[in-house]
Amino acid sequence: MKTRIVLVGAGVALLLAAPLLLSQGLVNAAIQMLIAALFACAYNLLCGQAGMLSFGHAAYFGVGAFATVHAMNAIGGTGLLPTPLLPLAGAVGGLGIGAIAGWFATQRTGTYFAMITLAIAELLHALAPHLKGLFGGEAGVSAMRMPALGLTFGSSTQVYYLTLVWVLVSIALLYLYTQTPVGRLTLGLRENGHRLRFLGYDVHKLSVLVFAISAMFSGVAGGLQVINNEAANYVLFDPSLSAAVVLNTYIGGVKVFLGPALGAALMTFFGYAISDLTQSWLLYQGILFVLVMMFMPAGLAGMVGTSSTLRKRYGAAALAPAFVLALLAALCLSCGGAFVVEMLQRMFSQDYRALASANAAMPSPPITLFGVAWSPASVITWLVPASLLAIGGAMAYFTRQRLQALDSQHATGAATANQPHVATTRSAA
Amino acid sequence: MSNTILSLRDLRKSFGPADIIRGVNLDLQADERHAFIGPNGAGKSTVFHLISGNLTPTSGDIVFDGHRIGGRSPQEINRLGLSRSFQITNIFPKLTVFENLRLAVMRPHGLQYSFWSFIDRNARIREQTERLMEQVRLQGRATTIAGEMSYSEQRSLEIAMTLASDPKVILLDEPMAGMSNEETAYTADLIREVTQGRALLIVEHDMEVVFSISDRISVLVYGEVIATGTPDEIRNNAKVKEAYLGEEVTA
Amino acid sequence: MDTSIVSLLNGIIYGLLLFMVSAGLTLIFGMMGVLNFAHASFYMLGAYFAYALQGTLGFWGALIVSPILVGLVGVVVERFFLRRVHHHGHAHELLLTFGLSFIIAELVKLFFGNFPVNYRIPKSLDFAAFTIGNSDYPIYRVMMGAVAIAMFVVIYLLLTRTRVGIVVRSAIYKPRMAEALGHNVPMVFMGVFGIGAALAGLAGAVAGAFYTTNPNMAIELGVMVFVVVVVGGLASLGGAMLASLLIGVVTSFAVGIDATLADLFAVMGAREWAEATGGLLTLKVSSLAATIPFALMLLILLVRPTGLFGEKA
Repeated sequence: MKTRIVLVGAGVALLLAAPLLLSQGLVNAAIQMLIAALFACAYNLLCGQAGMLSFGHAAYFGVGAFATVHAMNAIGGTGLLPTPLLPLAGAVGGLGIGAIAGWFATQRTGTYFAMITLAIAELLHALAPHLKGLFGGEAGVSAMRMPALGLTFGSSTQVYYLTLVWVLVSIALLYLYTQTPVGRLTLGLRENGHRLRFLGYDVHKLSVLVFAISAMFSGVAGGLQVINNEAANYVLFDPSLSAAVVLNTYIGGVKVFLGPALGAALMTFFGYAISDLTQSWLLYQGILFVLVMMFMPAGLAGMVGTSSTLRKRYGAAALAPAFVLALLAALCLSCGGAFVVEMLQRMFSQDYRALASANAAMPSPPITLFGVAWSPASVITWLVPASLLAIGGAMAYFTRQRLQALDSQHATGAATANQPHVATTRSAA
Repeated sequence: MSNTILSLRDLRKSFGPADIIRGVNLDLQADERHAFIGPNGAGKSTVFHLISGNLTPTSGDIVFDGHRIGGRSPQEINRLGLSRSFQITNIFPKLTVFENLRLAVMRPHGLQYSFWSFIDRNARIREQTERLMEQVRLQGRATTIAGEMSYSEQRSLEIAMTLASDPKVILLDEPMAGMSNEETAYTADLIREVTQGRALLIVEHDMEVVFSISDRISVLVYGEVIATGTPDEIRNNAKVKEAYLGEEVTA
Repeated sequence: MDTSIVSLLNGIIYGLLLFMVSAGLTLIFGMMGVLNFAHASFYMLGAYFAYALQGTLGFWGALIVSPILVGLVGVVVERFFLRRVHHHGHAHELLLTFGLSFIIAELVKLFFGNFPVNYRIPKSLDFAAFTIGNSDYPIYRVMMGAVAIAMFVVIYLLLTRTRVGIVVRSAIYKPRMAEALGHNVPMVFMGVFGIGAALAGLAGAVAGAFYTTNPNMAIELGVMVFVVVVVGGLASLGGAMLASLLIGVVTSFAVGIDATLADLFAVMGAREWAEATGGLLTLKVSSLAATIPFALMLLILLVRPTGLFGEKA
């Protein structure tokens, strides 16, 4: 328990110190990471805790964003709602639309529920460009951050701290929520909503409440996005945004409270850092998601938990070789995979195809990757990633063997430990 | 003086062309323990589903404490004071035993929409939950994940959850299934104790339990009640003996 | 009148197209209890494979080979991905298929670019079937409808008249029992999944030439298919057919209507107020055409949550 508080405290201190340590560009990225983390945390309330898989959560993020941008235009600067309090508009928007949408969506459960949430988001996405008054058509709606409380909110740093405060407070509230009666009932909804009925609960009303709260905090995240960008556009309702939060949440891990937040922060950071290097960032994210769902369902946060459990069980010394092997396997597989994807991406790009067809003598000109020129036609080009993938795969296989061996050793060790005890009781009798 | 708290009048349930419950009549007194026996497939669980709101009657009346509850939702019926357990254990598998019971305890205290207080701080809820755990002898399993317990422990949890709302009528569907002799005896005593002053309708196959606990017994065969009476009357009833022909009815 | 007939025909054919894709989804859901998010991705793959093969095999060759390839993809997805996570539960499978649909879309963008491709009807098929009023009705549209109807008839006959069909139906209804009776149920699952995928692929190959072929096809159609399934009731082929046709026809008619809600208010003499209020009231029905299916879905949820043909919960 204490280590957890220390870790959280350290994390918060780091976040507070960030603008002093990072460049402006990175501070902007940090703002995006914080917003994504809050959105994922709000989303996890519905999907990880209540067990209701929503595929259209961008709707509430978007509604919060538009509510905030209109509030900025209407009353920003008049003192009614000073800039720091503007995300409240996002909260109200998210809560309202969330309650209505939730009423419809929670009429069904499971797969149907997922489909309905997707359809509601698509409804907004299709409707928004036509309602020019509300959503500003193709161009969207823009606003300006107004000074308040002696601050101009002109620099990224000030926006960063505003975002940080809101995100920390919201996540803290979401955590406290899990300690309330409704918070525990949320878990009950996931585990056995049917039984809750027979215990006297109105499951539909409860579901709507949970949905609305999740939408409310999503709206806050949307509001923060608008304060940062000073604009909102109907693109915010795009299915890719809903998909992103699903991927982030599960990659992070839904069983741990901060899992989704960390997953979202990590993915957003990689998206920011790597998007200059590759056009296929989304593909990597999708592959990571599928790998997580197939081999590490508890997500990255869950993996941290599992490895510490394993360390306690087998001891650091016994675990170290398997750990190193796993790390190397991950490295090889990532490199091999990235090589293939990047090569393919360049090979099939329009520029390359134009180049290739232009020069009949050289049907497959070399592609520069990682500073070296590789010819797509040569075997070696494909042998490199193939061997990386093979080595990585073999290492992963050996890691699993090692872990299984440790497990059976541990089991027999426990059995032998029991035998002397039996002998003494028998001799005593 | 008639003290009927639950009455079924010509209750019928059909699934398409299949008539499962074909006119059941039953009167449950407010302080009696009433056993519901019959061969497998007679429809006993179906009657429970009809009473508790899991199924809607095709026709007929169910009157509980002056309210007509046929076709109402399970939560309404539970709030009126009727609580049931399930034949197939219906708990919250990945939550701890304590959590499971606490969820059952919270509702009667009106906490179903409360998100402004911390549940751990609520001493009353904690005490009641602990008391329930002790009653079913699960106090040592408070932090165990419910789905990882043995089958009979899960049955005990199931019973505890049913009792949490302090109901006027309790419906127990094969509560002792899977229990050892000692556990069965303990649970039978427990049931007798907690149903003091309440109405109990219990489905059980263990005839020793049935004959020792119940004030009256109803026999359901092919969706109809063929006999209702005290244990002695039922033991000597010709129709009942015929229905159970070949089965041993323990004295 | 003529435009109405054209709209009706267009609507029916679009509805039949929706049905082609949602029928496979319905069958797979009924059998495995998992909603295959990637089903619409198979539709997209059908179009893209056909486009890629058109050069070497010609239009008709591509039309035949493409669904087979998509069927193979479906088999691989079932055997190597879905089967592995089956024990984690339905939500997990749903998420996995979601991830797969995401990857398929990104792969399509990688290989073919993030823009529509030029998959066109061949000149040989670009003529009118008949004339209604003064507009020609393209033969290709009729062909699309014919393929859908043929497909429906074939599936129906296969399922009800052949031995394989009976085994499949029993595996859908009671997989464990079918397995206990000695049928190779995992093989049946793989087969049905593959065939469902192939049908979606066929729909894509046929429709992609007429409508656009772009990386967003999957999500655009996918959402419609989900609406069909919610409106019609999952696990009901009849419901899927009815809902598909309903949505197809309503959307088709709506596109041709330029009236607005303000016109409705005009009947009550409140036109000026309605037009001054703006917003939803001055939106033309034609602009809203895309959103009508969603409104229909919400209406069904309000009035009959299990869908038109669904079982009463």
